[in-house]
Amino acid sequence: MLSRVGYIFRETWASLRRNVTLTVAAILTSAVSLFLVGGTFLVQRGFDNLLSKWSGGVQMIVYVNYSATPEQVDAIKQVIESNPTVVDVKKLDYLDYDRSLAEAKRLLAGDPGTFALLNKNNLPTEFKVVPMPGKTDVLVGLADGFDGLPKVERVVLARDQVQQISKLRNFVQTVTVGLSVLLLVGALILIWTTIRTAMFARRREIEVMKLVGATNWFIRIPFMLEGLIQGLIGGLLSCAFLVFFNRLWTNGVVQLQGENSFTALVVSDSFLNFVMLMVVIFGMVAGAIASGVAASRFLDV
Amino acid sequence: MIRLENVTKIYNGQVTALRDATFDIAKGEFVFLVGPSGSGKSTLLRMMNRQERPEKGAVWVAGRNINEMPDSKVPHLRRNIGNIFQDYKLLLNKTVHENVAFALEVIGRPKHVIRQQVPAVMDLVGLAGKQDRFPHQLSGGEQQRVSIARAFVNRPLILLADEPTGNLDPGTGEGIMRLLDRINKTGTTVVMATHDQRIVNMMRKRVIQMDRGIIVRDQARGVYE
Repeated sequence: MLSRVGYIFRETWASLRRNVTLTVAAILTSAVSLFLVGGTFLVQRGFDNLLSKWSGGVQMIVYVNYSATPEQVDAIKQVIESNPTVVDVKKLDYLDYDRSLAEAKRLLAGDPGTFALLNKNNLPTEFKVVPMPGKTDVLVGLADGFDGLPKVERVVLARDQVQQISKLRNFVQTVTVGLSVLLLVGALILIWTTIRTAMFARRREIEVMKLVGATNWFIRIPFMLEGLIQGLIGGLLSCAFLVFFNRLWTNGVVQLQGENSFTALVVSDSFLNFVMLMVVIFGMVAGAIASGVAASRFLDV
Repeated sequence: MIRLENVTKIYNGQVTALRDATFDIAKGEFVFLVGPSGSGKSTLLRMMNRQERPEKGAVWVAGRNINEMPDSKVPHLRRNIGNIFQDYKLLLNKTVHENVAFALEVIGRPKHVIRQQVPAVMDLVGLAGKQDRFPHQLSGGEQQRVSIARAFVNRPLILLADEPTGNLDPGTGEGIMRLLDRINKTGTTVVMATHDQRIVNMMRKRVIQMDRGIIVRDQARGVYE
């Protein structure tokens, strides 16, 4: 058993060295494509964060000053509910201090400094208003009225923020997904070619192996390991890219801090780690499978 | 040990390489397959370790119909069959010792077995002391001895030899034949394809003669003709 393991690693290493150019090409292509795959996830997550406070058809948010008494909050609620033909009363949602804080924590993942400053004496609570079907325009007309109520801090409308962000998000998504699919195909073709070249260089050896009774798996495993290592190195490289660009991005967003809602574009470290793990695993599995299939394809010598 | 029943092999649906071949080879026999190039000798050999499958008929090796054997069992079949070729098929980047050890390594034999069996088989083929040479540092006859060592190191039941003396001068070829004869005397069944008349006549073993895919003669203690 041990001699087999030794054999497999020796063969894998020798094969990687023999094909340096192709190996490097395969690794770089998979690194770039995996970077784009990971980057797509990060960008989508950022946009989703940014849009999440508008999820569920929310078209208007009424921010209430932290100092409002329960009676004053109730009064605002009654005014909003007094338009049952415009406002979908069943979906009207009030985020008290705890829920507002939870939402802020999510949106401010990239800006823990700002989050730390929030407390009961400055964080506004909020009403999330969903219009009845087709009544968005009427609801917009009511905004000024709500804005004038006691203790209402400000009223924000979805159409100002959401539409542009959604457009941008869809555009970015199309581009990154398209590019990463193209590059992934390229990476797989390169891994395939590397394995085919490696097998051609060793066809005599493989022929002898088959004649003396080596199993197909025994012949295939060093090649699969080679593909797996290419995918692994590609994945690790792409993680380096991801960390680097995520840092650039975060710094850039934090510079924009004036309008605090954009900090939601930053993703949390735990999500970044998750994406990196996925990208590495995906690279390894795809590399191993591509070369395993390539090896089987050329095993009939 | 080996039994062919009405075996027919057709390449690409048109070229008939073998037609209705039937014979039995007993354990421990030494058999020559003779006949001109293209008469089907190599195809017969390739049938016996399932490098080829017949269109019709059955091939039995060691009591098993190898054409009905699942692919996953073929490696185990081949561990019982040694192969020798006209062009030796040695790995040029490996030493003599590594070439022979390779055959054991790739079927997962443990190191201590390899350490024990490789020198023993080197003695048997008369190459003791040349373990660290590379194939290009050896004569043709010596290279063929390495390939015999590789084929025999796992003590197979059967040895298939395809023109093993084809590239060798007569004297060297005779040496190889003496070696194969000794291996045969240990109980290994040997099947050898050749068109080396002199050698067949010298050995006086069973001769199966082929002509355009058909067995035209099967004679005990035969000569080439």
